[in-house]
Amino acid sequence: MTNLQIEMTIAALVLLVFIIMCLRRNSMSIKNSVAWLFLPIIFIVVAIFPEPLTALANWLGFETLSNFIFLITIALLILICFFLTISVSKQQSQITKLIQELSILKHDQNKKSKS
Amino acid sequence: MKNPKTIIIIPAYNEEASIQKTIQTVIEFNYDYVIINDGSTDSTEEILTKNHYNHISLISNLGIGGAVQTGYKYAYENNYDIAIQFDADGQHDIKYIEKLIKPIQDNQVDLVIGSCFIDKSLKNQRSSKIRRFGIRFLSNFIKLFSGKRIYDPTSGFRAANRQIIQLFANNYPQEYPEPISNFELLRSHKFKIKEIPVTMNKRAAGKSSINARKTIYAGINVILSILILSLRRKSHD
Repeated sequence: MTNLQIEMTIAALVLLVFIIMCLRRNSMSIKNSVAWLFLPIIFIVVAIFPEPLTALANWLGFETLSNFIFLITIALLILICFFLTISVSKQQSQITKLIQELSILKHDQNKKSKS
Repeated sequence: MKNPKTIIIIPAYNEEASIQKTIQTVIEFNYDYVIINDGSTDSTEEILTKNHYNHISLISNLGIGGAVQTGYKYAYENNYDIAIQFDADGQHDIKYIEKLIKPIQDNQVDLVIGSCFIDKSLKNQRSSKIRRFGIRFLSNFIKLFSGKRIYDPTSGFRAANRQIIQLFANNYPQEYPEPISNFELLRSHKFKIKEIPVTMNKRAAGKSSINARKTIYAGINVILSILILSLRRKSHD
Protein backbone atom coordinates (compact mmCIF):
# COMPACT_ATOMS: atom_id res chain seq x y z
CA MET A 1 0.00 0.00 0.00
CA THR A 2 1.22 3.49 -0.81
CA ASN A 3 1.23 6.26 1.75
CA LEU A 4 -1.71 7.90 0.00
CA GLN A 5 -3.80 4.76 0.29
CA ILE A 6 -3.05 4.52 4.02
CA GLU A 7 -3.90 8.20 4.58
CA MET A 8 -7.17 7.87 2.72
CA THR A 9 -8.15 4.73 4.62
CA ILE A 10 -7.46 6.42 7.96
CA ALA A 11 -9.40 9.56 6.98
CA ALA A 12 -12.36 7.48 5.85
CA LEU A 13 -12.24 5.43 9.06
CA VAL A 14 -12.27 8.61 11.16
CA LEU A 15 -15.30 9.84 9.19
CA LEU A 16 -17.02 6.49 9.65
CA VAL A 17 -16.41 6.49 13.40
CA PHE A 18 -17.66 10.07 13.63
CA ILE A 19 -20.88 9.20 11.79
CA ILE A 20 -21.48 6.17 13.96
CA MET A 21 -20.94 8.32 17.05
CA CYS A 22 -23.51 10.81 15.77
CA LEU A 23 -25.93 7.95 15.20
CA ARG A 24 -25.39 6.60 18.71
CA ARG A 25 -25.96 10.02 20.20
CA ASN A 26 -29.14 10.29 18.14
CA SER A 27 -28.01 13.58 16.57
CA MET A 28 -28.60 12.17 13.11
CA SER A 29 -31.56 10.06 12.09
CA ILE A 30 -30.79 6.65 10.63
CA LYS A 31 -32.74 7.50 7.50
CA ASN A 32 -30.57 10.54 6.80
CA SER A 33 -27.33 8.76 7.62
CA VAL A 34 -27.43 6.22 4.79
CA ALA A 35 -25.70 8.47 2.25
CA TRP A 36 -23.08 9.47 4.80
CA LEU A 37 -22.42 5.87 5.84
CA PHE A 38 -21.87 4.75 2.27
CA LEU A 39 -19.36 7.50 1.56
CA PRO A 40 -16.52 6.39 3.90
CA ILE A 41 -17.14 2.73 3.09
CA ILE A 42 -16.69 3.45 -0.61
CA PHE A 43 -13.59 5.51 0.20
CA ILE A 44 -12.06 2.60 2.10
CA VAL A 45 -12.81 0.08 -0.66
CA VAL A 46 -11.31 2.39 -3.27
CA ALA A 47 -8.25 3.09 -1.14
CA ILE A 48 -7.51 -0.61 -0.67
CA PHE A 49 -8.43 -1.73 -4.20
CA PRO A 50 -7.76 1.20 -6.52
CA GLU A 51 -7.27 -0.90 -9.68
CA PRO A 52 -10.89 -1.19 -10.88
CA LEU A 53 -11.47 2.52 -10.40
CA THR A 54 -8.22 3.38 -12.18
CA ALA A 55 -9.29 1.22 -15.11
CA LEU A 56 -12.68 2.92 -15.19
CA ALA A 57 -11.07 6.37 -15.03
CA ASN A 58 -8.76 5.49 -17.90
CA TRP A 59 -11.60 4.10 -19.93
CA LEU A 60 -13.64 7.27 -19.40
CA GLY A 61 -10.66 9.35 -20.52
CA PHE A 62 -9.45 10.85 -17.24
CA GLU A 63 -5.73 11.54 -17.15
CA THR A 64 -5.32 10.77 -13.47
CA LEU A 65 -7.35 8.86 -10.95
CA SER A 66 -7.42 11.84 -8.60
CA ASN A 67 -9.30 13.97 -11.14
CA PHE A 68 -11.89 11.26 -11.42
CA ILE A 69 -12.27 11.03 -7.65
CA PHE A 70 -12.58 14.80 -7.35
CA LEU A 71 -15.31 14.83 -9.96
CA ILE A 72 -17.27 12.05 -8.28
CA THR A 73 -16.90 13.68 -4.87
CA ILE A 74 -18.08 17.08 -6.12
CA ALA A 75 -21.01 15.46 -7.92
CA LEU A 76 -21.96 13.64 -4.74
CA LEU A 77 -21.76 16.83 -2.69
CA ILE A 78 -23.97 18.67 -5.17
CA LEU A 79 -26.46 15.84 -5.00
CA ILE A 80 -26.53 15.88 -1.19
CA CYS A 81 -26.89 19.69 -1.24
CA PHE A 82 -29.76 19.42 -3.67
CA PHE A 83 -31.65 16.93 -1.55
CA LEU A 84 -30.97 19.02 1.53
CA THR A 85 -32.60 22.01 -0.20
CA ILE A 86 -35.63 19.91 -1.02
CA SER A 87 -35.92 18.78 2.58
CA VAL A 88 -35.46 22.35 3.87
CA SER A 89 -38.26 23.56 1.58
CA LYS A 90 -40.53 20.82 2.81
CA GLN A 91 -39.72 21.58 6.43
CA GLN A 92 -40.30 25.27 5.83
CA SER A 93 -43.84 24.67 4.66
CA GLN A 94 -44.45 22.27 7.53
CA ILE A 95 -43.21 24.86 10.04
CA THR A 96 -45.39 27.55 8.44
CA LYS A 97 -48.40 25.30 8.84
CA LEU A 98 -47.49 24.59 12.47
CA ILE A 99 -47.09 28.28 13.31
CA GLN A 100 -50.41 29.11 11.67
CA GLU A 101 -52.43 26.32 13.25
CA LEU A 102 -50.89 26.81 16.69
CA SER A 103 -51.46 30.57 16.58
CA ILE A 104 -55.11 30.11 15.61
CA LEU A 105 -55.51 27.50 18.35
CA LYS A 106 -54.03 29.85 20.95
CA HIS A 107 -56.36 32.60 19.77
CA ASP A 108 -59.41 30.33 20.06
CA GLN A 109 -58.37 29.15 23.50
CA ASN A 110 -57.84 32.71 24.73
CA LYS A 111 -61.29 33.61 23.53
CA LYS A 112 -62.84 30.60 25.22
CA SER A 113 -61.16 31.24 28.55
CA LYS A 114 -62.35 34.85 28.50
CA SER A 115 -65.98 34.11 27.74
CA MET B 1 -76.23 35.14 -1.75
CA LYS B 2 -78.25 36.87 0.92
CA ASN B 3 -76.48 38.27 3.98
CA PRO B 4 -73.18 36.53 3.43
CA LYS B 5 -70.98 36.17 6.49
CA THR B 6 -68.16 38.58 5.76
CA ILE B 7 -64.80 39.02 7.44
CA ILE B 8 -61.94 41.45 6.93
CA ILE B 9 -58.44 40.00 7.19
CA ILE B 10 -55.89 42.57 8.34
CA PRO B 11 -52.24 41.49 8.39
CA ALA B 12 -50.12 43.70 10.64
CA TYR B 13 -46.38 43.90 11.00
CA ASN B 14 -45.09 46.80 13.10
CA GLU B 15 -48.14 48.97 12.52
CA GLU B 16 -48.32 50.69 15.92
CA ALA B 17 -48.76 54.10 14.28
CA SER B 18 -51.81 53.27 12.19
CA ILE B 19 -53.45 50.08 13.42
CA GLN B 20 -55.78 51.70 15.93
CA LYS B 21 -57.20 54.17 13.44
CA THR B 22 -57.70 51.46 10.83
CA ILE B 23 -59.49 49.10 13.21
CA GLN B 24 -61.70 51.87 14.58
CA THR B 25 -63.08 52.53 11.09
CA VAL B 26 -63.61 48.81 10.55
CA ILE B 27 -65.54 48.58 13.81
CA GLU B 28 -67.49 51.73 12.94
CA PHE B 29 -68.67 50.09 9.74
CA ASN B 30 -69.63 47.02 11.76
CA TYR B 31 -67.61 44.45 9.86
CA ASP B 32 -66.25 41.25 11.37
CA TYR B 33 -62.49 41.33 11.25
CA VAL B 34 -59.40 39.45 12.31
CA ILE B 35 -55.96 41.00 12.67
CA ILE B 36 -52.95 38.79 12.10
CA ASN B 37 -50.03 40.16 14.08
CA ASP B 38 -47.04 38.76 12.23
CA GLY B 39 -44.58 38.86 15.12
CA SER B 40 -44.40 42.64 15.33
CA THR B 41 -41.45 43.96 17.31
CA ASP B 42 -43.05 47.29 18.21
CA SER B 43 -46.06 47.94 20.45
CA THR B 44 -48.63 46.58 17.97
CA GLU B 45 -49.39 43.60 20.21
CA GLU B 46 -50.02 45.80 23.26
CA ILE B 47 -52.38 48.03 21.29
CA LEU B 48 -54.32 45.01 20.02
CA THR B 49 -54.59 43.43 23.47
CA LYS B 50 -55.39 46.66 25.30
CA ASN B 51 -58.28 47.46 22.95
CA HIS B 52 -59.54 43.86 22.90
CA TYR B 53 -59.31 43.74 19.13
CA ASN B 54 -59.92 40.30 17.66
CA HIS B 55 -56.41 39.27 16.73
CA ILE B 56 -54.25 36.23 16.14
CA SER B 57 -50.64 36.63 17.21
CA LEU B 58 -48.36 34.45 15.14
CA ILE B 59 -45.88 32.79 17.47
CA SER B 60 -43.14 33.49 14.95
CA ASN B 61 -42.80 35.88 12.01
CA LEU B 62 -44.01 34.33 8.76
CA GLY B 63 -44.01 37.17 6.24
CA ILE B 64 -46.98 38.63 4.42
CA GLY B 65 -48.02 35.44 2.62
CA GLY B 66 -48.08 33.26 5.72
CA ALA B 67 -49.87 35.96 7.72
CA VAL B 68 -52.64 36.49 5.18
CA GLN B 69 -53.03 32.74 4.76
CA THR B 70 -53.60 32.45 8.51
CA GLY B 71 -56.48 34.86 8.02
CA TYR B 72 -57.92 32.71 5.25
CA LYS B 73 -57.61 29.63 7.47
CA TYR B 74 -59.43 31.46 10.23
CA ALA B 75 -62.13 32.58 7.79
CA TYR B 76 -62.52 29.04 6.51
CA GLU B 77 -62.71 27.45 9.96
CA ASN B 78 -65.26 30.00 11.10
CA ASN B 79 -67.48 29.46 8.07
CA TYR B 80 -67.24 32.86 6.47
CA ASP B 81 -68.67 33.27 2.98
CA ILE B 82 -66.56 36.23 1.96
CA ALA B 83 -63.08 37.29 3.12
CA ILE B 84 -61.54 40.66 2.35
CA GLN B 85 -57.84 41.43 2.54
CA PHE B 86 -57.31 44.86 3.99
CA ASP B 87 -54.11 46.73 4.83
CA ALA B 88 -53.46 47.93 8.36
CA ASP B 89 -51.62 51.05 7.25
CA GLY B 90 -54.65 53.02 6.08
CA GLN B 91 -53.99 52.59 2.35
CA HIS B 92 -57.34 51.00 1.67
CA ASP B 93 -60.64 52.82 1.94
CA ILE B 94 -63.31 50.97 3.91
CA LYS B 95 -66.06 52.61 1.82
CA TYR B 96 -65.10 50.46 -1.17
CA ILE B 97 -65.75 47.20 0.62
CA GLU B 98 -69.42 47.21 -0.24
CA LYS B 99 -68.55 47.61 -3.92
CA LEU B 100 -65.85 44.98 -3.61
CA ILE B 101 -68.16 42.27 -2.28
CA LYS B 102 -71.14 43.12 -4.50
CA PRO B 103 -70.05 40.98 -7.51
CA ILE B 104 -69.49 38.03 -5.15
CA GLN B 105 -72.86 38.52 -3.46
CA ASP B 106 -74.46 38.48 -6.89
CA ASN B 107 -72.61 35.22 -7.61
CA GLN B 108 -70.98 36.76 -10.67
CA VAL B 109 -67.35 36.16 -9.77
CA ASP B 110 -65.11 34.35 -7.28
CA LEU B 111 -62.51 37.02 -6.60
CA VAL B 112 -62.70 40.80 -6.76
CA ILE B 113 -59.61 42.98 -6.89
CA GLY B 114 -59.69 46.62 -5.89
CA SER B 115 -57.58 48.20 -8.58
CA CYS B 116 -56.16 51.70 -8.92
CA PHE B 117 -55.22 51.31 -12.54
CA ILE B 118 -58.51 50.70 -14.33
CA ASP B 119 -60.00 54.13 -14.15
CA LYS B 120 -57.36 56.68 -15.05
CA SER B 121 -59.55 59.54 -13.92
CA LEU B 122 -59.48 58.37 -10.33
CA LYS B 123 -56.88 60.15 -8.37
CA ASN B 124 -54.16 57.75 -7.54
CA GLN B 125 -51.65 58.79 -4.97
CA ARG B 126 -50.28 55.45 -4.27
CA SER B 127 -47.39 54.70 -6.46
CA SER B 128 -44.13 55.95 -7.79
CA LYS B 129 -43.31 56.00 -11.49
CA ILE B 130 -41.06 52.97 -11.29
CA ARG B 131 -43.73 51.06 -9.39
CA ARG B 132 -46.38 51.91 -11.99
CA PHE B 133 -44.03 50.83 -14.76
CA GLY B 134 -43.32 47.60 -12.91
CA ILE B 135 -47.00 46.89 -12.41
CA ARG B 136 -47.78 47.53 -16.08
CA PHE B 137 -44.97 45.20 -17.08
CA LEU B 138 -46.24 42.54 -14.70
CA SER B 139 -49.77 42.99 -16.00
CA ASN B 140 -48.54 42.42 -19.57
CA PHE B 141 -46.52 39.45 -18.45
CA ILE B 142 -49.49 37.82 -16.75
CA LYS B 143 -51.57 38.49 -19.88
CA LEU B 144 -48.94 36.78 -21.98
CA PHE B 145 -48.90 33.64 -19.88
CA SER B 146 -52.54 33.37 -18.82
CA GLY B 147 -54.32 35.09 -21.68
CA LYS B 148 -56.15 37.42 -19.32
CA ARG B 149 -55.56 40.96 -18.21
CA ILE B 150 -55.39 42.23 -14.66
CA TYR B 151 -54.56 45.91 -14.43
CA ASP B 152 -53.37 45.89 -10.84
CA PRO B 153 -52.02 42.41 -10.07
CA THR B 154 -50.21 43.56 -6.92
CA SER B 155 -53.21 45.09 -5.20
CA GLY B 156 -53.60 43.81 -1.64
CA PHE B 157 -57.24 44.89 -1.54
CA ARG B 158 -59.18 41.78 -2.54
CA ALA B 159 -62.40 39.99 -1.74
CA ALA B 160 -62.73 36.23 -2.04
CA ASN B 161 -65.71 33.89 -1.96
CA ARG B 162 -65.95 30.68 0.06
CA GLN B 163 -64.38 28.56 -2.67
CA ILE B 164 -61.33 30.81 -2.91
CA ILE B 165 -61.11 31.05 0.88
CA GLN B 166 -60.84 27.28 1.06
CA LEU B 167 -58.28 27.21 -1.72
CA PHE B 168 -56.11 29.92 -0.14
CA ALA B 169 -56.41 28.29 3.29
CA ASN B 170 -54.76 25.21 1.84
CA ASN B 171 -52.42 26.73 -0.68
CA TYR B 172 -51.15 30.28 -0.70
CA PRO B 173 -47.89 31.70 -2.07
CA GLN B 174 -45.62 32.81 0.75
CA GLU B 175 -43.84 35.52 -1.21
CA TYR B 176 -45.39 38.20 -3.41
CA PRO B 177 -48.71 36.45 -2.78
CA GLU B 178 -51.07 38.75 -4.70
CA PRO B 179 -49.63 38.65 -8.23
CA ILE B 180 -48.75 34.98 -7.93
CA SER B 181 -52.10 33.82 -6.57
CA ASN B 182 -53.95 35.99 -9.11
CA PHE B 183 -51.93 34.38 -11.86
CA GLU B 184 -52.58 30.87 -10.57
CA LEU B 185 -56.32 31.53 -10.44
CA LEU B 186 -56.34 32.95 -13.95
CA ARG B 187 -54.36 30.06 -15.31
CA SER B 188 -56.67 27.45 -13.86
CA HIS B 189 -59.58 28.90 -15.91
CA LYS B 190 -61.95 27.75 -13.19
CA PHE B 191 -62.49 31.02 -11.43
CA LYS B 192 -63.81 34.39 -12.43
CA ILE B 193 -61.87 37.43 -11.38
CA LYS B 194 -63.14 40.96 -11.57
CA GLU B 195 -61.39 44.24 -10.99
CA ILE B 196 -63.22 47.26 -9.72
CA PRO B 197 -61.74 50.76 -9.65
CA VAL B 198 -60.76 52.09 -6.23
CA THR B 199 -58.65 54.95 -4.99
CA MET B 200 -55.99 54.25 -2.46
CA ASN B 201 -54.77 56.63 0.19
CA LYS B 202 -51.24 57.45 0.97
CA ARG B 203 -50.28 55.13 3.76
CA ALA B 204 -51.05 56.83 7.06
CA ALA B 205 -47.84 55.49 8.54
CA GLY B 206 -45.24 52.83 8.16
CA LYS B 207 -43.22 51.81 5.16
CA SER B 208 -44.32 49.78 2.19
CA SER B 209 -43.01 46.26 2.32
CA ILE B 210 -41.74 46.91 -1.20
CA ASN B 211 -39.62 50.06 -1.47
CA ALA B 212 -38.11 51.58 -4.59
CA ARG B 213 -34.84 49.71 -4.34
CA LYS B 214 -36.60 46.42 -3.87
CA THR B 215 -39.07 47.01 -6.70
CA ILE B 216 -36.83 45.67 -9.43
CA TYR B 217 -35.76 42.73 -7.32
CA ALA B 218 -39.39 41.96 -6.50
CA GLY B 219 -40.35 42.28 -10.17
CA ILE B 220 -37.73 39.78 -11.27
CA ASN B 221 -38.80 37.44 -8.51
CA VAL B 222 -42.47 37.56 -9.42
CA ILE B 223 -41.71 37.05 -13.10
CA LEU B 224 -39.51 34.07 -12.29
CA SER B 225 -42.23 32.64 -10.08
CA ILE B 226 -44.78 33.02 -12.86
CA LEU B 227 -42.46 31.33 -15.33
CA ILE B 228 -41.94 28.45 -12.93
CA LEU B 229 -45.66 28.19 -12.20
CA SER B 230 -46.31 28.02 -15.94
CA LEU B 231 -44.21 24.90 -16.05
CA ARG B 232 -45.73 23.35 -12.98
CA ARG B 233 -48.92 21.37 -13.26
CA LYS B 234 -51.95 23.39 -12.35
CA SER B 235 -52.29 23.29 -8.59
CA HIS B 236 -55.92 24.39 -8.53
CA ASP B 237 -57.32 21.66 -10.76
